[in-house]
Amino acid sequence: MSILNLYAVIGVLIFLITLSIIMIRPFGISEAVAAIGGAALMLIGGYVGPVEAVTLLLKNWNVYGFFLGLMAISALADQAGIFDMLAYQAGHWARGSGLRLYLAVFAAGTVITAFLSNDATALILTPVVYALVTRLRLPVMPFMFACTFIADTASFLFPVGNPINILVLNTFGSGLPTFLRYLFLPSLFCIALNIIIFVWLYRRDLKISYNPADLPEVILPHRPFFQFTIAALVLIAVAYVVASAMEFPLSIVALSGSGLLLAGAVWNRCLDTRRLGREISWTLFAFITGMFIFVRAVENLGLTVAFGQGLINLADTSPLRAILLTAGGTALGANLINNVPMSMLMISVLGNIRSGANGQALVYATILGADLGPNLTTVGSLATMLWLLIMRRKGLEISTLEYFKLGITVVPVMIIVGSLLIWLKL
Amino acid sequence: MRVICAIGRRGGPELINRLTKIMVNKAEYLLLHVIDTGPRHHLEDYLRGPLHRLPHHDKPARQEAVKAAEETAGQASIEETMEAAQNVGLNVSSSIKQGRPEEIIVQVAHERQADLIVIWAREGAVGRAPIGPASVGHTTRFVLDHAGCDVLLLREVNI
Repeated sequence: MSILNLYAVIGVLIFLITLSIIMIRPFGISEAVAAIGGAALMLIGGYVGPVEAVTLLLKNWNVYGFFLGLMAISALADQAGIFDMLAYQAGHWARGSGLRLYLAVFAAGTVITAFLSNDATALILTPVVYALVTRLRLPVMPFMFACTFIADTASFLFPVGNPINILVLNTFGSGLPTFLRYLFLPSLFCIALNIIIFVWLYRRDLKISYNPADLPEVILPHRPFFQFTIAALVLIAVAYVVASAMEFPLSIVALSGSGLLLAGAVWNRCLDTRRLGREISWTLFAFITGMFIFVRAVENLGLTVAFGQGLINLADTSPLRAILLTAGGTALGANLINNVPMSMLMISVLGNIRSGANGQALVYATILGADLGPNLTTVGSLATMLWLLIMRRKGLEISTLEYFKLGITVVPVMIIVGSLLIWLKL
Repeated sequence: MRVICAIGRRGGPELINRLTKIMVNKAEYLLLHVIDTGPRHHLEDYLRGPLHRLPHHDKPARQEAVKAAEETAGQASIEETMEAAQNVGLNVSSSIKQGRPEEIIVQVAHERQADLIVIWAREGAVGRAPIGPASVGHTTRFVLDHAGCDVLLLREVNI
């Protein structure tokens, strides 16, 4: 074996080992540590130059700023009591009907996801709704699944809906009209499908009514700050729409928005800095930094080029198959490794196509797959899930099994419908 | 005679109603509500940030709110059942426990040397038909399989 080949083989080995660690997490190694480790090895091995790495990270400042701003806005809105109030209002509006409450939860989830991103719905709205529904003595699982699913299903209605969208759009910069042209209809159809399927599946549970008098009163920590937060969130939502229409960096909107909320909290003397610091996932930044460098190294090794070329050829001869393959493959990959590295790999695969409708359709198919993918499995990746299923180990709750069954039936339908609609736009 | 009345979050008063139609002799009744920790663990695992999601921190305040809601709901269920039982003059006491309901129901029945467990086929409908295959939920199925005493299975009409 020549030195050059050996060099490439070692690179591929670093690639495989890093991904395996992210996948299996042996000894509880966090994905952030694995990502940074993989990136460091790639840097030491010279698969990525230091200057190249720094340039790459600087080029993605928008992604970092957006993540930070987004998490801060959600955390501050949560502290103001926005989510509790929203859940209370949903319960009030539904007037004792389980079905109406269910629809209200879907509506709230869609709006929160569109403007505060999927994680705001998944991580903040879910426990709030869970507590409410428990208190009302309604079946909990249908409501919990509604929140966690709509967080992903509604996340490509609007660019802000998922940080993955920003990640992809940052490379293939295209404005709001293009985004909406490709993804608005698929998004509406997937949201409708999600609601219809769930309402049908849980039709018997949703017949159960509750006593509106059981609705717990919301105790707002600070009323003026709550009112200020509502006004600020409306302003932020409008700013997002304007900024994406004008192709203005969304991170600046997110950061200014969080700055505004922060100032409001300080002004009203209700800023809990410790809680805010705890609710921002700092390790996430280490994870994406590691991943950016790591994926660039993989790209430099030429691993993604061949795959990309094949996909482009397929897109020219059979665009629908290419779209389905991209969306389906990305969704599966997001469950095998993780949303973020999978999207980065796809960005690299699609790197050579910047023009042409076929190429652009694949970019949006990637967003579709990466956004919907996480619905497939909930606790852990596909690998952990299968392992648990095979082993029937203690800890696999009935609810986890239910979720898996739900994901494996609903997600493929959504991917196919979404892909078809993207294809029709060509 | 000692009777365990296993109640979920709903259906307690109706259980008492059915029971009084069947029971003739005097018995000691224990209303047992078990807070199922399974779904909450599922929620916690989900919030902890599974692999395909971005790593996140726990939100302890939210988890406390969920636990408080579970206790309030359990208390409300016990209270309304207690009222129904006292109205028909049953000799009742109550207990709220946490864990896997199926295991705890069997365990309590064993500890208290119960003669009978009264339980619904399943709580709520959970998307299934009230009779036919899989109409007995996993909790009740476990109780039927493992209880060392008689089990009175109540069929859901409307709860």
